[in-house]
Amino acid sequence: MPTALDTVALARIRSLELRAKVIVEGLWRGLHRSPYHGFSVEFSEYRAYVQGDDPRAIDWKVLARSDRTFIKKFEDETNLRCQLVVDHSRSMKFGSGALIKGDYAATLAATLALFLMQQGDAVGVTTFGKTLQEHIPARNRPGHLRRLMLELEKPSPEGLTSLDLSIGQLAGLLRKRGMVCLVSDLLAPVEKLEQQLALLGAMGHDMVIFHVMDRAEIEFSFEKVAHFRDLETGQERFVDPGLAREAYLQRFNAHRDFIRKACEHQGIEYHEVPTDRPVEEVLFKFLSARSRKKGGLRR
Amino acid sequence: MTWLFPLYLLGAAAVLGPILMHLRRRPPQERQDFGSLMFLDAQVPMPVSKRRLEHWLLLLLRCLLLILLALMFARPLWRVEQAGTPGEGKAVMVLLDRSASMRRGDLWPKAVEKALAHLATAAQDRVAVAVFDRAWTPVWTFTEDRESAASRTAVIRQRLAEISPGWAGTDMGQALLDASASLGSEPGLTGVSKRIVVISDFQEGSRLDALRSRVWPETVSVVADPVVVADLNNLSLSWVASGGEEQLIAGNRPTGTRLGRVRVVNSRESKVEDYTLAWEKGGAEVLSGHLPAGASRVLSAPPVADAVLARVVKVGGDVWDFDNRVFVAPPQPRRVRVVFVGEEKSREEAASPLYYLSRALQQTPALLPELAVVAPSASRLPPETDMVFVPAGPLSEPMVKGLRGWLEAGGTAAVVAGEGMGPALRTLSGQSVTGISLADEKSGDYRMLGEVKSAHPLMRPFADERLRDFTKLRFWKHRRLELAKGAEAVLEVIARFDNGAPALLSQPVGKGRLIILTSGWHPADSQLALSTKFVPLLYGWMEAAGFRNEEASSLLVGDALPLEPGEAADIMKPDGQRLAVTAGTTVRAESVGFYSVGGKQPRQIAVNLPPEESRVVPLDPGKLREFGVVLDSAVAALPGTGLALEKERLAVGEQEGRQRAWLWFLAAALGVLALETWLAGRMREGRALAT
Repeated sequence: MPTALDTVALARIRSLELRAKVIVEGLWRGLHRSPYHGFSVEFSEYRAYVQGDDPRAIDWKVLARSDRTFIKKFEDETNLRCQLVVDHSRSMKFGSGALIKGDYAATLAATLALFLMQQGDAVGVTTFGKTLQEHIPARNRPGHLRRLMLELEKPSPEGLTSLDLSIGQLAGLLRKRGMVCLVSDLLAPVEKLEQQLALLGAMGHDMVIFHVMDRAEIEFSFEKVAHFRDLETGQERFVDPGLAREAYLQRFNAHRDFIRKACEHQGIEYHEVPTDRPVEEVLFKFLSARSRKKGGLRR
Repeated sequence: MTWLFPLYLLGAAAVLGPILMHLRRRPPQERQDFGSLMFLDAQVPMPVSKRRLEHWLLLLLRCLLLILLALMFARPLWRVEQAGTPGEGKAVMVLLDRSASMRRGDLWPKAVEKALAHLATAAQDRVAVAVFDRAWTPVWTFTEDRESAASRTAVIRQRLAEISPGWAGTDMGQALLDASASLGSEPGLTGVSKRIVVISDFQEGSRLDALRSRVWPETVSVVADPVVVADLNNLSLSWVASGGEEQLIAGNRPTGTRLGRVRVVNSRESKVEDYTLAWEKGGAEVLSGHLPAGASRVLSAPPVADAVLARVVKVGGDVWDFDNRVFVAPPQPRRVRVVFVGEEKSREEAASPLYYLSRALQQTPALLPELAVVAPSASRLPPETDMVFVPAGPLSEPMVKGLRGWLEAGGTAAVVAGEGMGPALRTLSGQSVTGISLADEKSGDYRMLGEVKSAHPLMRPFADERLRDFTKLRFWKHRRLELAKGAEAVLEVIARFDNGAPALLSQPVGKGRLIILTSGWHPADSQLALSTKFVPLLYGWMEAAGFRNEEASSLLVGDALPLEPGEAADIMKPDGQRLAVTAGTTVRAESVGFYSVGGKQPRQIAVNLPPEESRVVPLDPGKLREFGVVLDSAVAALPGTGLALEKERLAVGEQEGRQRAWLWFLAAALGVLALETWLAGRMREGRALAT
């Protein structure tokens, strides 16, 4: 496992792109040291020539330098389309640690985008609040990454989390099959959520959900009695954490369990992502899970 | 227990803070942003009325801490009573001030009332009562108290009713010393706590300096109980000096002249600033002026219309008139009958001794010399002769004998030794002088005085060394005296010439005195009569003869009346009371006004109020502490005097500084704080474990 860069240190890096690069570089370094080396979503590399390979693919320069025969895979070879769907609703503004959920989600999405683009996959970004806000289709061409970063870097998430509307719209936009990564806090009524997840699963996409949660939301670690304000609706409610904690945790865990079960049921890969967990670690686990699922990496 | 800074006790009200903080369910003031309220139920804040205190032990500790801090800052102290508690049996001496300043308003009745009140509270105690002004006078002694304690109050009340404030000054220091001495010497008071209660107006003019002379006994405590008047306005008047000599000659005062000077003083806390100044009778006009509080001014006395009636100057403008008058006695020069034994016709001859003597003996404000001339051949001196001058020359036998007799009876005679006066001098001096011869001086040579005993009573005018320059005094001619053996024992040489020969000698003869000059004062013998030393010398001899050339300064109440020594006198007091005084008795003036003293030379003596008595601004009784007096802590400070309060506060502060009770409160507060910290820490730990 790579050495994780903690979220506090990460939060100090202003530029999202730089933040993503730092994480990805760390991840690469970690990959070389890791016993699980060589896994990836879609991986382009040199490999030793074996009989039957197309001699056109032999890298002659390497052969000339080292007298060894390697097959060079073309860098522009793309066979994975990944659409990163990032929640930009107001609830993502909440954060008790170094990063708010929105920033963490953007960092995670940017890191994924960079990682995937570095290995030649096409990546697109879709942001949504109450409705779909921005949709950048998956591509892999020079300058595309920059566009993705700019989109992810857009400040102040807006609107309510309305997955039903957004996913409905998204289903219309994603024609080609590929991987869809949903990064969201999934704070929406569970009934609708199940329907939408089922819809996405039915479209044949390879669905991955990163469920972003703040530590304070998981543990409800508030001490003081206060008026709690809903960031999405602006509604206020008087809450004594001491009294409300038990009921809250019960409901929150039920909600989380429901989502996890629904994902399991629909064959959706589900990742719980507390914002205090290093992004590298999340990515590493994600990659590990992918490798196990597919039984190895595409070479 | 009392407090040095009681206001800090209000700080204990800070306990309300923790109490409010410990009330549970206070409405939240804070807002907390949160992702979604979908998992949260709304709760209703608990109403104020249903709130309950939580962590009451912690609250108790916090309140206790605040209270201890407030107590600490208030600086507690225990008042240490100097004397025992009532009922234990004390010896109480009640001192009442009866000085002139107690004449103001109802001070005296108030003082008597207070004294009786003190007696009422001291039923179990040994009690004595005394009054004081410049001296201490017992009213009720411990002995009387021991013998008839039952009738104590009635007798004291009656005796105090007979006493009223006098005119004397206040010597509180001496009165306190006398009272403490009385307490100390009284038998049966050993081991009993002793207390002196001083009831006085504590005026500034009270004398306390006597207290410096002795160490105040630790066992005797003093309670100061002041009586006050509301009106502190006071103008006072005192006589400063007489005017020029020429104005003082009786009968020569023209209308409108000003007699002497007076000092008008306005009291420090006075609100009256305008005054009038006039003779009570016989004045020509009324002066008025402005004098700020605390100031004093020396003014010429108002003009006189009738010199005989003008004897009392009065200042007006304030309420209290006990010190508003000054009594001025008319000038009364004493008659001195001087006899010159010689020829009357020589009075106008510039070469004769009489010529100079008659001009030297001029009238002064104090003396009225009357020069009579008796022929040397006369057989006796005129009656009531006070002083005799005998120039060099022959004397008749009866005259010498008469003179000798008169000398023995107490007269003073100055005799110039001359040729042929040997037998006469032998008689007069009682064989001390055996003969006289003319000193053989060369013509044109002179002698000067070489040795002068300036400390001798006859030379008193030259006591000041600046006046002792005799170098300009030249003697052309002098005589040598032949003295008998052992004559030096009685014949004292007062001055010698530079050749060692005696110039001036003195010898007591009987009650009187014989003065011998070996050189005359007239120009044939010396320059003495023409020198500036002559007149002072004559007046010095007259002073030695009992005629002092000094105007009697105005007497103050308490001073002894100047009576002729060894002479009975008939005195009339200012209130008209007559007093026959036998010889050798001292009579002190008790009242202001004119004392008429009869006798050989009847005269009037003006007696005035001591000026200190006019300083009526209240004195801080705490000042007694500066003299080492053990002032009881129950000392009643004068109301309205900030200084007194400040002094009292300082004394209490000193006591507090010694006790340092606040340190205990601090220690207790620190202990409570430690306990509170530990308890709070434990409770937090418990809560953390629970969550």
